[in-house]
Amino acid sequence: MLRIKDLRVSYGREQVLNGIDLEVKAGECLAVIGESGAGKTTLCLSIMRLVEGTSHGHIFLNGLDLLSLPEQSMREIRWRQVSMVFQNANSALNPVHTVLDQVMEPIVEHRLASRAEAQRRALQLLANVGLSPDRSSAYPHQLSGGEQQRVLIAMALANNPGLIILDEPVSSLDAASRAEIVALLKQIARDHTFVVVTHDLSTAARLADNIATMYAGRIVELGPAAEVLSRPRHPYTRALLRAYPNMTTVKDLQGIKGKMSRPVAGCAFHPRCTQAIGVCAEKTPPLVSSQGRYLACHRGGIITLLAIRNLSKSFGSFKAVRSVSLDIDAGETLALVGQSGSGKTTLAKTIMGLLQPDEGGVYLEGKRVTSRAKDFYRKVQMVFQNPGESLSHRLSVLELVREPLDVQGIGTREERDQRAKRTLEEVELPASGGFLESYPHQLSGGEMQRVAIARALVLNPSLLIADEPTSFLDPGVQAKILKLLLNLQERRGLSMLFITHDLSLARKVSDRMAVMLSGEIIEQGPSNRVVSSPVHPYTGSLVQTASALHSESEAGETVDQPGAEARSGMTIG
Amino acid sequence: MFSRRNLVTYAIALLLVLAFNFLLPRMMPGDPLMAIYGEEALVQMTPELKANLVERFALDQPMWQQFGAYFGALFRGDLGYSYYYNAPAFEVILGRLPWTLLLVGLSLVLSTLLGIVLGIESGWRRGSKTDRSMLAGLMALNGFPDFFIGMVLLLVFGVTLGIFPLAGALTPYSGLSGGALLLDVLKHLALPLAALTLAHIAGAYLLTRNTMITVVKEPYMLTARAKGLSQRVMKYRHAGRNSMLPVITRTGLWLGRVVTGALFVEIVFSYPGLGYLAYEALLARDYPIIEGVLLVVALFVLVANFLADLSYPKLDPRVSYAR
Ligand code: SF4
Repeated sequence: MLRIKDLRVSYGREQVLNGIDLEVKAGECLAVIGESGAGKTTLCLSIMRLVEGTSHGHIFLNGLDLLSLPEQSMREIRWRQVSMVFQNANSALNPVHTVLDQVMEPIVEHRLASRAEAQRRALQLLANVGLSPDRSSAYPHQLSGGEQQRVLIAMALANNPGLIILDEPVSSLDAASRAEIVALLKQIARDHTFVVVTHDLSTAARLADNIATMYAGRIVELGPAAEVLSRPRHPYTRALLRAYPNMTTVKDLQGIKGKMSRPVAGCAFHPRCTQAIGVCAEKTPPLVSSQGRYLACHRGGIITLLAIRNLSKSFGSFKAVRSVSLDIDAGETLALVGQSGSGKTTLAKTIMGLLQPDEGGVYLEGKRVTSRAKDFYRKVQMVFQNPGESLSHRLSVLELVREPLDVQGIGTREERDQRAKRTLEEVELPASGGFLESYPHQLSGGEMQRVAIARALVLNPSLLIADEPTSFLDPGVQAKILKLLLNLQERRGLSMLFITHDLSLARKVSDRMAVMLSGEIIEQGPSNRVVSSPVHPYTGSLVQTASALHSESEAGETVDQPGAEARSGMTIG
Repeated sequence: MFSRRNLVTYAIALLLVLAFNFLLPRMMPGDPLMAIYGEEALVQMTPELKANLVERFALDQPMWQQFGAYFGALFRGDLGYSYYYNAPAFEVILGRLPWTLLLVGLSLVLSTLLGIVLGIESGWRRGSKTDRSMLAGLMALNGFPDFFIGMVLLLVFGVTLGIFPLAGALTPYSGLSGGALLLDVLKHLALPLAALTLAHIAGAYLLTRNTMITVVKEPYMLTARAKGLSQRVMKYRHAGRNSMLPVITRTGLWLGRVVTGALFVEIVFSYPGLGYLAYEALLARDYPIIEGVLLVVALFVLVANFLADLSYPKLDPRVSYAR
């Protein structure tokens, strides 16, 4: 139906679309998602050939290359073969004509029917989209936002075009009318082909068969909607999903680091990408097919930072860890949930090389870890439960944070001090005077844990393993430390293995969750899925106890629930 | 549709006009009778007549009673007596009014329509040659007063080329009727009408063009284009319709200017409307006529404004007066 090849659009010297390739089959709904400024609206307008700038490439609609048509033929195609539902219904309708006139106008002007017939059809369409009949002779300003949107939809349907483009069809509506309009669109989508541009992911999720993620004028990921949303593979798509506040994402709201900037050499996303490598800044990755999806990334999408394969460990006859396999992606937080004695800590210690596995192995960035030398610890660091035990009491704060650098032999003494101080600032501790000289026993629990975190982060690792990092702290401090960890993760693009017995805590911080029972991983998946529809009965019981506790004691304290609901009406900007 | 507040505004304006007309002659130094009737008339008057007039205008009574009498007279259509024309002022004015109405009405309609159409065309292709030359031409035209344009037209088309008559509204004593009469009227009307219209096109044109320039950037114009509409439909039905709204609201305002312009243009062409009448009366110091003309013109502008106000909500559905 619609095929776009290497579409490039520029306004003057500003390149807005940088080579878009897309295909939409008849009857399909493609959602294009991305931040504002990614070029989504320009893409819509280019298909209608309504952009002001210059376009290159090809847009085939039913086999006809629209970009090569003379304006007159294009005029005939507009609205007959492709129509559009514009952003912001209020200003897209002409204030001085009744909505009925505006809906019937394209029928009459394209000479598809007589005036009387056109009027009859327009009335029917308005009724079909749920506008009450007495409103049809109203002027746009007399209608509510939802009604105006319905009028726009009826208008788009007027000439029964094969393809309908919807540019942010619900973004200007309140939550209630939004749901109604989406339901209406869903129904219309049954016998129309849609291209929906939106930054509202829940709309995309409800309507789309396929989802394309756009970033700085390029498609960076394209695949079946359900898969893209549940397991995004491009770092940007994941960031977008994370930043999107809705009721099914349980993790705390997290922005995407940095801002979209253009033009950028190489992969446009690399200044914000947490797994960028040298080549990312030099060459633009092409959009290539990869396991049922299209991805534009030099590293084939989000990489698996740490892979654990069939790892087993027993103490005598006690099998603490039984053939565990786990993947931790770059930039993600995996929560490992289980009771004490389930083998979580043993697993963590085995990863760190503090214990030797009986079987199986650990792979870091695809390479099997055989010995754990300085290299390994530069990339993987751990924060323990009890900072009182893990921090040596004979060293001052500055010495504690600097020690890993000393061991690795990085830089001069001066530089190491500087770096240690900077890291202390990052964990929101004073980096001057007396505090640097103090010793662990002079610090509070929260301060000690911050020092421990600084010590783990000073080497700039890719993976942080945090074993119940807040269990020794009182609730107020606990929340602050969690927030700090999340902030650091966002800023540095850290991956985190977050070990906890507390399911409600896990759901707040993690993208994915693995539940461990008696040394085995019994369930894993996206956190929201695991919590909302657990598969294993044990997970179910965990969810129940957690939610019971939740409603009893934590009502005021949790960050997530009510806030997330209130925010669900918002969209990322 | 129309609010009480608006009506009150008009009522106040009306009262002010009347009060002004009442006070003006009475504020003048000297005998109010002289101010009302003029020097000449006074000299010719017999004492009985004088006493009669004093009584009629209640000039020996306190102010408010004078006002009452004045008001009553107005109501009866009594604007006083013109000794110069030897007829009641009201009749004299009424006889001349149709010519002014014809001139002002046609010129207002023509200048507004032409201004709007040119403004739409010009704003639609902003920056093009057509736009720039139209803009420059009309701006230049806007710089000249209407009577000046009238004089130029008179010199070129009347005196030099001799296509149009030099004065009057009809060929005197021609005994024409039917089509020939109409043609004669039009011939006499052409130059004053052209002068007045040309002088006032620029206002409507500039306003329409300015609005048009912003309107073409409105999102609903993108919708119109996406709908595959023809240029003409986009330009007039969608953009033009919105661009003329501000012009219509200002018609009332312009009317005042066109009317005053007409008074001068009439003098240039000796066109027998109110303007020329006032001019004659001024020369003859025929005060009742002058005052009558002022009153009629003021009332006329007021009524026209009122009508424009009434029509505006019909053109712009967004305007609805609070009741
Ligand atoms: S890894 Fe490189 S190519 Fe892939 S998204 Fe990140 S910066 Fe772009």
